[in-house]
Amino acid sequence: MLQLAWRNVWRNRRRSTINVAAMGFGLAAIMFGQSMIRSLQSQLIEKATGSFTGHVRIERRDIDEPKFPDKFMTNPEPAAKLMAADPRVLVWGRRIHMTGLVSSPTMSLGALICAVEPDKESKITDMAGYMKEGHYLEPGTKGIVMGKKIAGRLDVRLGEKVVLMAQAADGSMGAEAFRLVGIHETGSESFDGQMVWVPLSAMQELLGRPGQANELAAKVRNIDDADAVASDLDAQLGPGNIGAMSWKKIDKEIIGIQAFQDGLLTVVLVIVFIIVALGILNTQLMSLFERVREFGVLMAIGARPRWIVKLLIMESALLGLVGTTFGLTVGSLLIAHFGHHGLFLPVGDAFKYFLPFPSVIYLRPSWGMHAFACATVFVVTLLATLPPALRAGRLKPSEALRHV
Amino acid sequence: MSKPANLHPLVETRGVEKVYAAGSKVAALCGVDLKIARGEFTALAGPSGSGQSTLLNLIGTLDQPTKGTVSYEGRVVSGLDVDSLSDFRLRALGFVFQSYNLIPVLTAAENVEYPLVLQGVAPAERRKLALEALKLVGLEHYTHRRPDLLSGGQQQRVAVARAIVHRPDLVLADEPTANLDSKTGAQLLDLMEGLNKEHGVTFLFSSHDHAVLERARRVVQLQDGELKSDETRAR
Repeated sequence: MLQLAWRNVWRNRRRSTINVAAMGFGLAAIMFGQSMIRSLQSQLIEKATGSFTGHVRIERRDIDEPKFPDKFMTNPEPAAKLMAADPRVLVWGRRIHMTGLVSSPTMSLGALICAVEPDKESKITDMAGYMKEGHYLEPGTKGIVMGKKIAGRLDVRLGEKVVLMAQAADGSMGAEAFRLVGIHETGSESFDGQMVWVPLSAMQELLGRPGQANELAAKVRNIDDADAVASDLDAQLGPGNIGAMSWKKIDKEIIGIQAFQDGLLTVVLVIVFIIVALGILNTQLMSLFERVREFGVLMAIGARPRWIVKLLIMESALLGLVGTTFGLTVGSLLIAHFGHHGLFLPVGDAFKYFLPFPSVIYLRPSWGMHAFACATVFVVTLLATLPPALRAGRLKPSEALRHV
Repeated sequence: MSKPANLHPLVETRGVEKVYAAGSKVAALCGVDLKIARGEFTALAGPSGSGQSTLLNLIGTLDQPTKGTVSYEGRVVSGLDVDSLSDFRLRALGFVFQSYNLIPVLTAAENVEYPLVLQGVAPAERRKLALEALKLVGLEHYTHRRPDLLSGGQQQRVAVARAIVHRPDLVLADEPTANLDSKTGAQLLDLMEGLNKEHGVTFLFSSHDHAVLERARRVVQLQDGELKSDETRAR
């Protein structure tokens, strides 16, 4: 049967080739789409967590917005000990995030002040890698790092002093002078135009909050463990006012984007699957009408109707196998090509406003999703052949033999 | 290819009627009684529309009679379920069609092998039997040719080989020479006659051609769906 089925598949070479091509290119398009969306999503997550958020944070529970916690933990050390003790945590650090005023001799601007522990922060986020001039913060100094745009607006250069002003613990305005040690350029308006970075100790001093922080941020060894780490830490922290959360609760907009993209991808997948199914259905129906007499002959010489049904299903299975293999090959080559050379995506510019985000995405295969797409194309091929196959099985031999 | 004698005729139709109900009802056969014994070389004759093909289809279990029965060696087969009929045809019958009806994607040998494939015969055994059958029809040198590379006569010989390869009780041939020229048709009849005489293959075939009917040892004449005459010739 296999031999007959295989030869029947290639009986009408042009038609089968068109079918295989439709199936293959459809599958390749699905794989490309899956890979593009997943690569975009993972790049988005990497950039969001790697430039600002971190993977897991410990903050006060009564804050308004977890991304920018506005309330201080007066004694973060018990929580810090818990974080430090978790073997899944690669590195962690104390932070203060708050808005303030940064002034140069010629200009004052509102800014988001990020006070960090320089030695740890350079491992939690990759901001140190975006330095355009000078160097990243060093512990124990009163240096300041800022974006190229805000430095331009303030008209300050490396080595010059700026004054930071922020509301201190007692409600007064604290002020301190910092020397500009580094200018970064991420390409993001938010980062380059609105953020400044200072050492945590200097900021604690400015605010009159020694030993205080408004968040503890950690990078875990495997980002997939972030939820579990956050959940465990949260349980260990107990029901008090300090809790832990993963990046998914902090960067909720990324989860929203991810859900939207996944929904869009599903719609595209369904459309492609329907096109493939209609193509196969059409081929098998044409094949059935062309071969009615032949089925009559097979039935006359003793083939059971079920055998005819099996033959047609096997033909489809072979066609599906060839199409799937072709699609898998084309899809894999496409992903490998754009994984090596990168794919220019203007959507990067949209994200860039909020995050340091590249316009070129390097595709990565998502084998789990690709396997699902291959299996679905194959199953759709088999399902599409059922109506004509069952119809062939119901043919009456004498009528089939009279078919012209 | 002869089989043990049976008290019953090989084939027997009793009061077989066939009415087609496409639009108005048309009676293609009206109560035909016919017995075919093992080893016969019988022709069904009659003008177009007289019911020869319908009778062949009923005897070949490709269609069901509206009334009456078809029996093989005393066992009624008309009325069996679809799978049992398939199995019966696979074991007991061989078919030769007017337009050869070989499977175009298979070679001559593969076409001949097909009934054996359906029977589940082992590949080596079925290849051996197929080559023997092709040798019997004089096509042992054309085993690897596909039907489109064979002449009409050669294709019909392959069809005969396919019909006899599994040693059926009866070979049914519906106007086997109708698409062949007279010389090739005569050669095919020589072949069928030889298989009948030398190997005991029972043939029941239909034809309008007098030259073909002349070769039959028994001619059953049909007219308007009824048996008009049944003549056995001495040879």
